[in-house]
Amino acid sequence: MKRVQLQRWSSTVLSPRAQTASRLHQHVFPAGSRCQSTASPLQAESSAQEGLGDSGFEDVELMKHVRSAHRRKDMLKYPSPPVDAALNSAKLAALHARLYLPSRLPPQTLARALVDASADSNPDFNNESLATLGHDLLTYYTTEHLLCTYPRLPLTVIFAAMYAYAGPKTLAAMAREWGVEHASLPGGEVDPGLLQFRRVAPGSDLNVLYNKRTPRPYAAQKAWRMTVTSKIFYDDEFGDAIKGPENSGEGVTAELASATFVRAVMGAIYLHAGRPAAKRFFEQHFLSRHLNISQLFNFSQPARDLARLCARENFEPPVARIISETGRKSRHPVFVVGIFSGQDKLGEGAGASLIEARERAALAALKGWYLYSPLNVRVPSSMEEEGAAPWKPVYVDLGEVIV
Amino acid sequence: MATSIAASKRPFVTLPFLLPSWSDSLALGSRRYQSSYRRTKQRLRVKPDATFGSSYQGRDQIIYNPPSSAPSVYHTPSKFLPSNDARRSMRIEDSATGNVTDKVEELPNVYRSDPERKYHLTPADVEEIRKLRLSDPMTWSRHKLAKRFECSPLFIAMVCEASPEKKQIQRQVLEAVQSQWGPKRRMAREDRKLRREAWGRDE
Repeated sequence: MKRVQLQRWSSTVLSPRAQTASRLHQHVFPAGSRCQSTASPLQAESSAQEGLGDSGFEDVELMKHVRSAHRRKDMLKYPSPPVDAALNSAKLAALHARLYLPSRLPPQTLARALVDASADSNPDFNNESLATLGHDLLTYYTTEHLLCTYPRLPLTVIFAAMYAYAGPKTLAAMAREWGVEHASLPGGEVDPGLLQFRRVAPGSDLNVLYNKRTPRPYAAQKAWRMTVTSKIFYDDEFGDAIKGPENSGEGVTAELASATFVRAVMGAIYLHAGRPAAKRFFEQHFLSRHLNISQLFNFSQPARDLARLCARENFEPPVARIISETGRKSRHPVFVVGIFSGQDKLGEGAGASLIEARERAALAALKGWYLYSPLNVRVPSSMEEEGAAPWKPVYVDLGEVIV
Repeated sequence: MATSIAASKRPFVTLPFLLPSWSDSLALGSRRYQSSYRRTKQRLRVKPDATFGSSYQGRDQIIYNPPSSAPSVYHTPSKFLPSNDARRSMRIEDSATGNVTDKVEELPNVYRSDPERKYHLTPADVEEIRKLRLSDPMTWSRHKLAKRFECSPLFIAMVCEASPEKKQIQRQVLEAVQSQWGPKRRMAREDRKLRREAWGRDE
């Protein structure tokens, strides 16, 4: 049996970069390009002549090096990587594949989503517009999910749940989980797979950095009471004061830049792949995160609130009764107290004292009221799907108990 | 026989609570984990106990197996369900056909007696309460006024407020008392307050 000659194989198997550059190959290459080019033979001949002259004059490797250095110098002029660099970035392709993004979303847009407005102020090349769209979609989908699934939630709990689902801290954690790394400084020569933003100078005060230009009247009056209801009108979707546009050139925190990137990805998916893909992305990456809403409550006087609730809903006034107890005269007694309204048990709680058990039972009853969830929850955006069933109005509650 | 086999499978080293406390530091270095699926599965296999059966239901007992746990807050009480919710009718059918509900009236109340609401005070009485409290706040405290007018101290607090001087005196008294506390009592009081706040978060 004849042995395969490795010497011959190597030239075809190995990539061109790994091949030893021989003068013969370089001389052959322009001729090959001429055959494939659509330009007229004369032009092609002249370009081949130029190529021949260049390569003939100097070492090809050195030439290549000089050219790439020139290109890098050109790229240094740009504040963010050029668009065609996205096709050559392994990091970007890996991120695209890791997130299982739709193939209709090109890597160029993903690269644009990674450029923060603090890195490139040109709105045609940064992710600001994508992030605005993505933020609106995220908050809309989260809000409709919360309001339709738990229609009785108090507003403060809704704000807390919104922050837990789509707040900047969560989005930054998601970007970290996705394996997005930060570029130390933005620039045209940076790998487009890195998140690019201008960092805040160390030691700068973040509260001063973001000027709080809120539409709320009398915002300067710090001592005045801010009602929860007014937060719907004047504040953002998390119940915090609306932050004005940040001063340009000051930089952003890594957390904010990561959050903007995640929002921009959401906006890009919506633009390139459409509404169903955006909805699916939201369900897979945001709604799938576990949030125990029952832990977001904090009551100061649950028994009083429950009494008000029963009066409002025309139930019999709540009565606390001992269901079972053990060790009343011991050091560690346990009482199990139930709150009853008429014959119905509203809640049950256990505690080391009668007062504690009663408070816990009232709290359980209040949570039972607030955490009511209808059967077969549908959200308004489900009507956008093809062939959706006719819309039935969702359950709308009277509102939380006001004492 | 079966019990002896089970006992030999559980050597003392795997039950650290049986060992004296000084051996904790020794056991740390040589602790062995359930490194295979089969071993974990074997440990989780619970032998059937006589208390598992339903034969104990209906009789007085002190062992409840499995032990009862607090009901989930996501399980909305029937009374809180809206009238058009399907679960409401399902639960009514369930209670009508099946288990007997406990007599709620037989359960003892947490408080000895319900406070009786009398609504007997007139606007003139309220005026007098205010006048008394303003005129001599040291004598006419909330509790004394409540006793005299046969109402709750809470009602007195709703009707009138103590004068600033009285509040100042009361604050000084409280500070004098608290300055006598040692570190133990102070810490215990703070812990009590923290525990009370934890009730509201259900912790």
